[in-house]
Amino acid sequence: MYFLNLISGILPFLLTLAFYNVQTHAAHTSNWAVLVSTSRFWFNYRHLSNTLSLYRTVKRLGIPDSQILLLLPDDMACNPRNAFPGTVYSNADRHMDLYGTNIEVDYRGYEVTVENFIRLLTDRWEEGVPASKRLLTDEGSNILIYMTGHGGNEFLKFQDSEEISSWDLADAFSQMREKGRYNEMLFMIDTCQANTLFRQFYADGVIATGSSEEDESSYSHHADNDVGVAVIDRWTYYVLEFLEKEVTGLNSDKTLGDLFDSYDVEKIHSRPGVRWDLFPGGEEAGRSRRVVDFFGNVQGVEVQSGNAREELQKDLEGLMRLVEEYQEFAAAQEKNQTLMDEVMVQRGAGEKAQVQVQDGKMTSSVRLKKDAFSSRQVAGAVVLAGLASLWYFGSKIMV
Amino acid sequence: MCSLLQQVAQGASKHNAMMFLTFLYLAACLVLTTLATDYFERLDLTPLPLGSLLASFEFRSNETLSAYNSQNFRYFPRSLGQVLQHADTKELHLRFSTGRWDTETWGARPWDGTKEGGTGVELWAWINAENEKEAMRKWITLNQGLSGLFCASLNFIDETRTTKPVLSFQPAGTHTQNGSLHLLHGVLPGEVVCTENLTPFLKLLPCKGKAGVASLLDGHKIFDASWQSMSVDVRPRCLTGQECLVEIAQTIDMVLNIARAKRPRGDPIPRPVQPHELICDETKSYHNHETCYPVDALETPEWSLNDVFGRPVAGACPLCDEEGPEAKSLCLHVPHSQGVWIGAGGFEVRSGPGEREKRCWQLVPGERFDFDMPKTSVRTHAQLDLTDELITAERTMTGHGAAKGGMRTVFTNPSSKDPVDIVVFESLPWFLRPFMHTLKAQITDTGFPSEWEVIKDVYYRPAVDRKRGTQIEMVLSIPPSSTVMVTYDFEKAILRYTEYPPDANRGFIVAPAVVRILNQVDATGNAKAIYIRTTSLLLSLPTPDFSMPYNVIILTSTVMALAFGSIFNILIRRFVAFDEVPENKLSKIVKTSRFRIALLKERIMGKAGKKE
Repeated sequence: MYFLNLISGILPFLLTLAFYNVQTHAAHTSNWAVLVSTSRFWFNYRHLSNTLSLYRTVKRLGIPDSQILLLLPDDMACNPRNAFPGTVYSNADRHMDLYGTNIEVDYRGYEVTVENFIRLLTDRWEEGVPASKRLLTDEGSNILIYMTGHGGNEFLKFQDSEEISSWDLADAFSQMREKGRYNEMLFMIDTCQANTLFRQFYADGVIATGSSEEDESSYSHHADNDVGVAVIDRWTYYVLEFLEKEVTGLNSDKTLGDLFDSYDVEKIHSRPGVRWDLFPGGEEAGRSRRVVDFFGNVQGVEVQSGNAREELQKDLEGLMRLVEEYQEFAAAQEKNQTLMDEVMVQRGAGEKAQVQVQDGKMTSSVRLKKDAFSSRQVAGAVVLAGLASLWYFGSKIMV
Repeated sequence: MCSLLQQVAQGASKHNAMMFLTFLYLAACLVLTTLATDYFERLDLTPLPLGSLLASFEFRSNETLSAYNSQNFRYFPRSLGQVLQHADTKELHLRFSTGRWDTETWGARPWDGTKEGGTGVELWAWINAENEKEAMRKWITLNQGLSGLFCASLNFIDETRTTKPVLSFQPAGTHTQNGSLHLLHGVLPGEVVCTENLTPFLKLLPCKGKAGVASLLDGHKIFDASWQSMSVDVRPRCLTGQECLVEIAQTIDMVLNIARAKRPRGDPIPRPVQPHELICDETKSYHNHETCYPVDALETPEWSLNDVFGRPVAGACPLCDEEGPEAKSLCLHVPHSQGVWIGAGGFEVRSGPGEREKRCWQLVPGERFDFDMPKTSVRTHAQLDLTDELITAERTMTGHGAAKGGMRTVFTNPSSKDPVDIVVFESLPWFLRPFMHTLKAQITDTGFPSEWEVIKDVYYRPAVDRKRGTQIEMVLSIPPSSTVMVTYDFEKAILRYTEYPPDANRGFIVAPAVVRILNQVDATGNAKAIYIRTTSLLLSLPTPDFSMPYNVIILTSTVMALAFGSIFNILIRRFVAFDEVPENKLSKIVKTSRFRIALLKERIMGKAGKKE
């Protein structure tokens, strides 16, 4: 109670303070990463190691596991074919175990589907889906989306059984924009004909980059003889090389321009592409964004957009209202116990889990009896005999 | 801490101060002991035949029921507690297992099989709900919550994979609201168990795997084991005269091959043994200097914790007991005659006479501990004093072809005088349709010639396509020294095109059968549960050619185009004789212009002729 009074005392002061606050620069308040591998089967080891390399990079730069959504459609680390149990390598030198001892895979196996991926982006779920499997971003969040797998002209295959098209991605991103689910987004894709995947994008605030032009394959970098398959793709390898060497910490001032300028067609064996036109300010603004704005994590950043005053005022008014509501509630609590009970019941009703269950008949199992069998057999024999006699005597009667 | 307080108390001069301090000391010790018993951990190491090692980790934490209900978590993990409370779950059993327990070589299972699950993930829980529908809703909420917590696809346990066993499971906790508790059981036999499941498992422990025996747990070793099983059990416990507790017990059991576990991390690929190092079986008739039949290793190599787990124990978890039998958190089950070199950081206590010989160590917080087990000759099952399983069960599929098949389970009772009563619980997917009229049990081999009724009771819930699977629970009685074969036939359903998983040609995994052995008592005469599980089975269903729809579309389109094109052509075209074809404008113009030219020519020629 005293605490509430204190808040209500401070609020007017904050309100006045808001008018003097003129800090304006477009920054983000949180960083999220969605890292997707879309191929199943052992020979696609490199797609998982691509994704896991990115996972280690964003983790190294401070994004916590709760803000990384990792989608791995197959199990490479504990695969019986893997000579290195519990380990995934992305380099034949085997210096870095990507699976490590602390990893959280959010979607795995059959859960990695186009439907789940679109649901994840647009956050349309049935009730009960845990927070760790959701992309809980807001309009202040910068999102890094990395995808790798087998693709073609404007499509990307998921687990060899379904595919996502560039239109699906474009529509999902536009929906995210409309719902205020991101501030800026960096979309990276390593697959054959990757640059066609972001051709249809139309939502603002997206920078997209891919590994290869239309009608170009994206190649793997090298194989490890003991693993037995290719361990990483070329484009991802050189992106990682840049990230490892140049972006050593959160205070790195390397920009996306530097990253994209580091692409070398000679080394990558395909022509990587970049799309700036959807980004506010175009290429110039996009190039100046720091790499850690997408790969690193921000903490404790106070964000004020252009019309900060009005928004802050609105927020504070909202807070005021909440405080008043709580005061009323507290007063009612002291005055009338039953009123509070009602409120508690109302609140409880809202909190109850409401998962839709099909009206399947979950009846219990039934004990089978032997005599039931024999009685059924007798009944069946009686019916058969009746029918036979009816047929026999019926013909007699008719004659 | 307690002894320190005592010293302070002795040092106090005034009588009343001393009284006060003694009181304080007693109170502190009381608090400390009650606090300390709230967490317990132990690692049991038992050598097995053929150079294997069974490592059993156990971790237990308590919370009083009132504290648990008011979300006042101390050792009980908050994340799990909140999921359980949200889904009204009173008792939970969750298992993650891989590999196969080799009964023939390793003997009876650890914990009598109660802490073990079938291959993949197995989950059963008692949920408090008013009716079945509500229980199902809460069960799905629980699965969703656990899937987020344990990084497993537990959300795939829906109605088609949920069963309600009647006889196979009994609650392990003390429940007050027995009437409204619903037992639900679900399995994901194809689920992969890997490091991402171990990470959240360790995060549930109060010491988070940073100290105590849990510091030995490393995914690289656990998932290289011949067999491993992780379990999480939550149950309420009420002892008479005390406040009810909510207990969480976590275990990890694994069988490591010592030679394999000793391979270095960076280079685990075995190299062929050099010819001069091979030990040959010289009794073979073909043995000479060129041919060699290698014998199994005669010695178990020397090992230490660092060798098999990749690191020594990082000291005791400070939350454990500091005294008493519960404080000995690391035990090695070898005879006292066996020499073991121990390092600093642990006090050894040997078991007294009468019990199975073992030695335990009490660890010190913050001090690393390791020991060296010297090279030993390979000992057999009997030499290691391993107990045998009461019964063995083996389940296979019979038949051939894509339409039909049969299930055969073979039970063997090795005992010469005691019959064994068991409950066999099978949960089959809906696309495997058993024919119950073909269910047969026959005694195939017996040293006990007399009439015996094998099938005593059957509980059965038939499947409904795409809604729920079959559930069969059979009570069987296996006569002494006999082998019983239980068989039934089944039919394979054809799935819809979209119902096949991406790797349909691999086949579908059928969950292991759970065998519960009835009427068993432990050393103190109390009833105890013994479980064994069969291996999971791979069912191959008829799979369509998945490119077929595209082929059909392409072929049909081609046929359509050909047929349509020719028919359309015939319909709109008019066939006429050549001379009936009407002249068109161009040919008319050509014709008239030709005629005119000819006319003009004639005129000119005509004039010239006249001149002559």
